[in-house]
This record gives sequence, structure tokens and C-alpha cells, in this order.
Amino acid sequence: MRATEPNETGYAVNDGVRCYYEVFGSGPVTILLMGTFPVVDGRQWKAQVPYLARHFRVITVDARGNGRSDRPVGEAAYGDEDCAADAAAVMDATRTESAVLVALCSGIKWSLLLATAQPERVRALVAIAPGVHPLAPPGYPLQAVDHERWRGEYREWVDYHTELLLPEPHSSKVFDDLVGWSLQTDAETLTCRVHAPLRPHDEDEAVALSRALSCPVLVLHGTEDRCQPLARGRRFAELTGGRLVVLEGAGHLPHARHPVLVNTLIKEFVDMHTAPSKRESAWLFARERKRKALWVCSPIGLGHILRDLAIARALRETVPDLEIHWLAQPPITAVLQAEGEIVHPASAELASESAHWESESTHHDLHAFYAMRRMDEIFCANYMLFDDVVRETPYDLWVGDESWEVDHFLHENPERKIAPYAFLTDVIGFLPVDADGDPREAELCADYNAEMIEHLARYPYVRDRSVFIGGFGELPDASFGPGLPGIREWSAKWFTAVPYVLPFDPAAYRRPAALRTKLGYGNGFPLYVAAVGGTAVGRDLLELTAEAFALVRKDQPDARMVMVTGPRLHPDSLPDVEGMDKYGYVPALFEHLACADVAVVQGGLSTTMELVGARRPFVYFPLAHHWEQQHFVTHRLEHYRAGIRMDYSATKPADLAAAMLLAHGQRPAYRPMRRGGSAKAAAQLATLIHR
Amino acid sequence: MRAREPDQCGYAVRRGVRIYYEVFGAGPTTVLLLPPWAILHSRMWKLQVPYLARHFRVVTFDPRGNGNSDRPIDPFDYADAETVADALAVLDDTGTASAVGVGLSMGARVLLQLAAAHPERVAGAVFVAPTIRLGDVLPQCWVQPFDVELAEGTGWATYNANYWRHDLAGFAQWFFGEIFCEPHSSKQIEDAVGWALDTDAETLVATERAPHLGDRPTVGLPVAAQLAAKVRCPSLVVHGDDDRIVGSDTGVALAEALGCRVEIFQGGGHCVHARHPVRFNLVVRQFVEACVGRHDACN
Repeated sequence: MRATEPNETGYAVNDGVRCYYEVFGSGPVTILLMGTFPVVDGRQWKAQVPYLARHFRVITVDARGNGRSDRPVGEAAYGDEDCAADAAAVMDATRTESAVLVALCSGIKWSLLLATAQPERVRALVAIAPGVHPLAPPGYPLQAVDHERWRGEYREWVDYHTELLLPEPHSSKVFDDLVGWSLQTDAETLTCRVHAPLRPHDEDEAVALSRALSCPVLVLHGTEDRCQPLARGRRFAELTGGRLVVLEGAGHLPHARHPVLVNTLIKEFVDMHTAPSKRESAWLFARERKRKALWVCSPIGLGHILRDLAIARALRETVPDLEIHWLAQPPITAVLQAEGEIVHPASAELASESAHWESESTHHDLHAFYAMRRMDEIFCANYMLFDDVVRETPYDLWVGDESWEVDHFLHENPERKIAPYAFLTDVIGFLPVDADGDPREAELCADYNAEMIEHLARYPYVRDRSVFIGGFGELPDASFGPGLPGIREWSAKWFTAVPYVLPFDPAAYRRPAALRTKLGYGNGFPLYVAAVGGTAVGRDLLELTAEAFALVRKDQPDARMVMVTGPRLHPDSLPDVEGMDKYGYVPALFEHLACADVAVVQGGLSTTMELVGARRPFVYFPLAHHWEQQHFVTHRLEHYRAGIRMDYSATKPADLAAAMLLAHGQRPAYRPMRRGGSAKAAAQLATLIHR
Repeated sequence: MRAREPDQCGYAVRRGVRIYYEVFGAGPTTVLLLPPWAILHSRMWKLQVPYLARHFRVVTFDPRGNGNSDRPIDPFDYADAETVADALAVLDDTGTASAVGVGLSMGARVLLQLAAAHPERVAGAVFVAPTIRLGDVLPQCWVQPFDVELAEGTGWATYNANYWRHDLAGFAQWFFGEIFCEPHSSKQIEDAVGWALDTDAETLVATERAPHLGDRPTVGLPVAAQLAAKVRCPSLVVHGDDDRIVGSDTGVALAEALGCRVEIFQGGGHCVHARHPVRFNLVVRQFVEACVGRHDACN
């Protein structure tokens, strides 16, 4: 899933060559994200677009030779002047009088040529790793693709080239993206570009064009850039009178690898050189400020919000004057609104995580690690929104419940931390789900874990509190990967554990008969409850359950089933079965689960642990390839000796019906849960506000 | 001890009146910190100078009537036009082709006239709590009966020539209490009262009788707006929304007339630069950098 979709797309035609563009956002200032050497298309700016489009009108271009733009034949078609004219054609086609140009590498030459030909159209230029080739000799011999010599070896060249551009550790996702874009074109096309007529012709012309550039210029250049030497960026900044920001340790693609820094630099620079869209800004005298907390709640499942509300209630008992703003997205915003909580208005701008998870899942199969990894764009967009929000309102505390984006980017950009920050989670680290069949997955999981471990070790002050929900013994007894520490040992060092947080007092739910009367279900017949959490991922499981329940009715003709489809699945979209009632979103779902003689659920942690707390028998289906459900939840439920675990792909309706009948009438002997989790978690947070 | 001593000081002399200036730091960009009403002088910028001088060349000068500048007695010597000319003389004497101006209160009004009439000398302008008449509401100080006999009084009634002659310190104590309406401002008030007593009642009476821009109900309203329309440089308005001397609606109106951004200091009074110096300094630095572009590496 993309984090934000364009509001206009089209082709600009320049001398018969079609150039694809996309337009995002709106406003008086347009930012044109230029094309570059065609190993990438406009998607190279995916970490910039959502953030910049929040503030400006943004246009991306696929350079000729890649993406959806044409791939004309012949060296003559890829000259710098043609590419510059493409950008002008896109500006014409999008009715853009003038724009701030943001360009990478070769894109700077095209910007320079565009500004020379039509200076009134270029308001400012952000030049990332400027590739104005005659300005300084290359520091490193980069082997260009050459069709004649490289015939049949394009893929090897792509790997070589991509690695060269990304010297930073933990760049695997950017690497995969870049390889993917490079494979959208071919050696023949790139060879044409390499041998195309170049401008500026020589150093004199490069100097003259750079000096003549009259607009404000910002140059960003990494010290480890193997494509464009830093000396080139420095010279370009000197000649244009621009400001140079040297990015220590960065390679050729800082916008992709260090997006928070690059985004904020672009925003600051554009604001500086254009009339601000926001005419009035305010700063509130510190002593006048009310105590405020921003609570970022992961929308993956509905469980987080219920525990967060329980912790927030306990926190307010200690800090009664605390105003909590929730940065959250559907479906949990519905829960918050029902509770009368303050949902921060920027929440509406969050890129949807739920939609992403749904798009990644099929047939009760969700490769959660890969899906999360592919959420890089959404994470970056949502972090940037957070970054805006915490600068618009001064908060006294940030709380993130599995706020992975906030946590990751704060560690990548520790200077962005400006308030106490507490991180809560019930899962620590990635474990491969198919270690034998997919070595790449094992390697990537270990790399992600290593990055997290490095982050905390290097910047321990980023998190003021790390709270693990549950006991360390409930974590899998495994290592983070080859050469990395054990999950339990490391977590015990870096986290404070609090007992599992239930949204209710389990003691109040130990008598299902009374509860059934209270909720109007009545007694004297077997009652089954099926629920699949807050996303639409569980549709297949619900369909299986409906079929199984029909079979159960053959043995237990008076059996009834309550099927809760959740807020994102319409009950009518599921089959009707005699004796089965279907509901969409049900508040306080745990009460209904606590009525069940047997519950059928996914392997989500919150729902299964609520069943453990209420001591109800249940059958659960961890999502296939879901690292958390496969490892962490399963391990935790085994720790509590709870639940019958089943595998969706190996389960026929008759198997499930048999399991439901088996579980019916069982008296669970679960290991008791420690209590007081919400108060203990709240006490951790309160110490950050009260001394 | 001052936190930062000037690197250069001197007098610009205009028609026999000496205007004292100080220069701090070096660099291609100069920030000119204009004086406000002569009840204060250039030391009022003491929390700005050391920081801004790390990044820019900073020029301050004392207003005629206070500090080390002369104290002529003719009210016409205190006309806005004279202060505008003083600013130009200081720029000339310090070899400053152009500067980003920062003016507070009446200093903002002077800056507006300077920027409108001499665009080549003003690269940018920060108007702080501008004492400019742009709306129907007049600042309190312009609606007081200035010359009535008054030996005792409270509040705005003490904005009065005879009261000043009788008890300038008492007036200053009250006046700066209004200006620094934020709690815990004792040092700021004490400083300001001290600077007020660096001049005398007759001088302040003369400043008050001087012809100023648009500061009397008889002067046409559009004057300030016409001036604002002539300003070509990047501008910024800064105003505290608890300003009891000039309401922040004036700052908002000026920003509207200039088409620029207004930064509101919520809970701030008339002199936010002294009471909230860190935020103020950061806002000014960022603005100055935006005005002139930058040619430095940030790391």
C-alpha cells in the first residue's frame, strides 16, 4: 500500500516522448520532485511525498527510460536538454507556473538547464548529491552500464550499483526498492543515457550556469557518496551561493535512507523562501501550558486501545490534570470517541495501517514481517505527521503503544526527541516463520533485530521508559539471530515488565451464567462466540467457522453462535447459518467472549489473553506466516496452558467442529495471571510527569 | 559584567545631536536592533546581542534622549523622521550597506518608515509589538490627557507630563509592570525602571510632544497601511497576546497589511524579547537566515 495516492496523474508529451507524472496535495507552493538517471522512477520520492504533500502541492516525474514514461530508442533521445525539457513539459501539463525543484544527481543538471531557460519558473532548488559532472573529478570510478560489454549481466550490474549507492548498514529495504526500480528498465536504455549528449559541455559552462543560477539553493551531500563526490556538491554550493549541508556517513540516497532529516531540511528551506501557507504561528509561555500527553496507539488489532485506555485511566488517577490527545486511526478511533477521549485532529491524516494489513493478507495468511517491512512508506509518512504534531503542540509526555514508526525514526533522528517518551509493547523482536524455507527472511529478521539493539544501546535516552506488557518468561526462549543476544535476557535488561493488562477485572467475569443473563443471551444451551479482531483479515476464518458451526448443530441442535465480524467486515457479507447471529462492531467484546462456552478466535494476543483472564475454553488460529502470532502469542498461551491451537490451512470444517465440541464442557486449568498491570504501567508513565 | 562587549562603538552625529552606537561580531549579514521609545535604551537588547552576534554582525544604538545618546529638548528633535535618519546615519557610520532590522514598539514604527522609504538599506524587518495605529482602537498611551495637573494617580492616568516630573520612578514601576505582565518578571521590571531613570522627565515629555506617524486621531488612518504596502523586504511580526500596551490585533493587522507571518507569543506581554528570550532569539535567527540565505555548512 502507498501511504498517499496522487490526486491527479497524467502524461506530459515532449517531442513525442510521454512523461508520466503524479500530483499530490494542494497549495500555492508547488514542489517538483525531479527525475534522475533512470534506474528509478518517481517512486524514489516515496518517503518525501506524504509529508511534503501535507504542506505543499507536490509533483513527481518518471524520467524517460523508467517507470511509466516512454523508453525512446537511441542515445540522442536521452540528452540532458531533453530531460530538462521533460520537466518543463510536466510543469506545463500540470499548469504549474513555478516550482521549487528538488532533484537528485543528474536531476540537478536538468534543474540547472530549466532554470537557465526559464528562470521565472524555478523558485528555489534543493540539490541532493548534485551530479553536475564537470565541476569536480569523480572520487570513485563508478562502472556505468554498457550494453555492449554488459549484455546479459544487467542484474549483476544492478546489484553492484545499488550496493555502491547504499553504504549505510541496515539499508535492506531501500536496497530492495532500488533493485526493483532498476529492473523496470534495461541495459539498453541505460546505455543510451550514459552515451547521450551531456550538458553542461565542460567546466566553463558548468561554472557559468551555476553562477548564473539566481534562485536560493540548498545542497545536501553525503560524505560516503560513491556516485557523486562531495567536492562536486561543495563546489556547486559555492558557485550558486547555496547552503551546503554535509551529511556525515550518508551515501548517495539520503532522501531514501535518512528521510526524516531530508524532509525537514526541505520543508525548512521551502518555508524560508516562500510565503508561508500558515500566516500565524503561536508559542505558548511555558508556565501557561496545561499538562498534555500525546498517545500514539498502533491500530493493528483492537487490543492495544483497550489496554491503553485501562492504563490511561489509571494514569489519570495519579495525574488528574493530564489531558491526553490520541493520535490513532480507525478502527480504534471509534473506540476512543465512544469513550469520550480526545482524538487529535491530525489523526485523520494518518496513512491507513489497517488497509495495508488487509491488502497484504489472503486466506488467513499474513506474512506479518514482510508486510511490516513493506509498510516503510506508511511508517515514514506517519512518523512525519507525528513530528509535525509534537512541534505544533508542546506535550509533556509521549506514549507509544507499539508505535514502531515513532520508535524507529526517533532512534534514527534522536535530535527530534523533545519530550519524555515511553514505549509500550507486548512483542520484542522479529522471529522468522520459515527459517528453513526462506533464508532471506531469517537474515532480514536478524538485521532488523540488530538495528533495534544498536538503536537502544547507542541512544538509551530516546526512550525514558520501555514497558513490556507481561512477564519475560512469556517471551519465546530464542535468540534475536546469529551472534545476537537471547530475547528474554536482552529484554529483561532493556525493559520494565508489568503484568499483562486486561481491559476488565477477570474476577468479575468468572460466572458466565450471570453474564449471559445480563447480556440477554440466556442460559441452558451451548453458546459459541467467534471473533477475529478489528481488521478484515479474519474473513476466511469466519467463513470456516460458520461452516463448522453448521456441523456442530448436528450434534448440538440447540447450540447458538454469536459471530462478531468487527468494524471492517460487514455482517451481511458472511453466510447465514441457523442458530448463528452476526454483529459488526461490538463494544466491550470481551464481555461477550466471557459468555462463551467455547470461543473461536484468531491468534491475536489481546483476544486470547482476555479469554485466559476470563478462563474460557477457546480454539485459536494463528495467522500463517505471522511472526507474532506464530511465535510470541503461541508461546505465551503455552505458558498459560491455554487454548487449542489450529492451523487454518490444514483445518476442514469438520475438524473445527470436532475441536469446538471437544472444548465444550472443558474446565480450563490455566496458569493464573498476575494482576495490576494497568496500575503498574501507569506508575511508570507517571514518574515521567511527577517527581 | 556584560555578557558580550562591543567590538566597536562610536557616535553618529546629526545636526549636532550625537547618537551612540555599538557593533558586535562580524560577518556578511548585519542585524540592526532599533531602539524603542527613549524610556529605554539599547541595553534592552542585552539578551539578544550575545546570541545574535555569534551568527551575525549586530548593530545597536541608543535613542536620542537616553543611554549614551544626546538629549535635545526640542520636541521636534524626537520626531519619527529624526530616528529614521539616525538609523541611516548609524548604518552609514558603521559601514553597513543594508541590515535586517528588528524594532520593538515605537522602534517597529520607525522600522516601518525606514523599510518603506529606504528599501535598499533594509534586507528584512521584524516588527515586535508594533506601536502603530492600524485599526480603530488606539493604544492607551494616546488617549490620556497628557498635560492635566496630576500629582497623584494610578494606572494609565500616570501617563502624564506632570506626574512624570513628580514621580518618574513611580510611573516607570507601574508602566513596566504593565509591560511585563507575566509572573516572575521582577528582574526585567527592575532593569527597565533603571534604564528609564537613565533619562529624565523633561526629555520624556519632549519625546511625547514630538510629531509621530499616525499616532493622533487627527492623522489619517491609512498612513501605516500605505507604508506597509511599500515594504518590499521579507517581514515578520511578533506579538504577545497579553500585550497591555498595544493589543496583538495590531500586530495581526500589520502582518495582514505586509502579507507576512505573525508569531504570537501566547501569554506574552509587550516585551517578549526580554521575558521569553530563547524563543525570541531563535525566531529572529531563523528569520534573518531566511532573509539573506545561508552560505554555511550546518555541520
